[in-house]
Amino acid sequence: MGRPLDESDLIGRAKRGDTHAYEELVHAHQGIAFRTAYLIAGNAADAEDAAQDGFVKAWRALGRFREGAPFRPWLLQIVANEARNRRRSAGRRAHLALRAATEQPSGDAAPSPEASLLSAEMRGALLAAVNELPEDQRVVIALRFFAGLSEHEVAEALSLPEGTVKSRSARALDRLRESYD
Amino acid sequence: MTELERALVALGRELDIPAGPDLRSRVRERIERKPRQRRALVLALALLVAIGIALAVPPARSAILRFFHIGSVTIERVETLPAARERSLVAGLGPALSLREAEQSSGVPLVLNAPRPRRFYARPGLLATILNYHGKSVLLAELQGDQTGLTKKFAGPDTRVEPAPIGSFGLWLEGGKHVLTWVSSSGETRQMERRLAGNVLLWTEGNRTYRLEGGLNRGQMLDLGRQITR
Repeated sequence: MGRPLDESDLIGRAKRGDTHAYEELVHAHQGIAFRTAYLIAGNAADAEDAAQDGFVKAWRALGRFREGAPFRPWLLQIVANEARNRRRSAGRRAHLALRAATEQPSGDAAPSPEASLLSAEMRGALLAAVNELPEDQRVVIALRFFAGLSEHEVAEALSLPEGTVKSRSARALDRLRESYD
Repeated sequence: MTELERALVALGRELDIPAGPDLRSRVRERIERKPRQRRALVLALALLVAIGIALAVPPARSAILRFFHIGSVTIERVETLPAARERSLVAGLGPALSLREAEQSSGVPLVLNAPRPRRFYARPGLLATILNYHGKSVLLAELQGDQTGLTKKFAGPDTRVEPAPIGSFGLWLEGGKHVLTWVSSSGETRQMERRLAGNVLLWTEGNRTYRLEGGLNRGQMLDLGRQITR
């Protein structure tokens, strides 16, 4: 049995046309790609299309991918662009919804420390406040905290300077603090 | 991390975000299909797209004076224009399709960093749609760059052809009408459509050729073109 390949090996093979290697990259990143697309496009069908098209376009653009650069932010930029195109085309605004109040968060037997911070009422209020944010701030907050991207990855995904992401995030958190405190 | 930021992380875990599908087989099918399609196009079903610009000078005899290439497009200047008439922007491009159908049919994935129209048109190696910009309809055609020599143009004497600052190399065609023909070939050249065309911006980027046609001025067309590939 061979050793598991690291990402740079897979990228190198994929750049040489190895579709099996690329399939492994798809497997590794499809979860975050879909979640990112969903948070931008606002529905599962568009998110699925955006993620799939993003992977196909990334494959075709692999020749331009800089050796040694992190793959995830580069990929997410392509996926996020696809998701933005679909949202603009539909002319709608994405709204996020909570799971049913009786449903437990995925798989955890005991609530996480973060989950215990929030009562049902506070969750609802905070989500409403997020949905009320201006679109440019809402997307930054969603990608940063709901998709778990770093500020650098958010900046890459949205094709923005990191400073812009920081300032939008700060303004959004100020607004949310008013609802949360 | 502040209390509010921890609360947002917790909220993210409870959002109603469905689990994403396993995309591996679909992605693999698509990335493996395209090269085969392109080879088949070259061998059997290649579509020739012909766009012509010609210098219509009085002598009746038509002769090619000059020609040059940009991406998939060959531009020819001739003495007299071939007979042609005004037709719809999408004449010769087949029935309206969804984006997915058009991408599959053309083998060309859309590059369009702008709101997407509902209707698309496809020929092997070519994907097209109508955009609305500044209240005017503009035909966007994207051509696969590896099908060089598939297009040509003829221009009348009033048509100006000048470099345009877009992509790797761009050209702006304005002034007198020029004749545009879409020609298909399956081993033999067969003309499908011929029509008069208006202002055109042509440019290449990567292995792709872009063509915008419509009633916009040079600045508007350049703005639109740069948005498409931003």
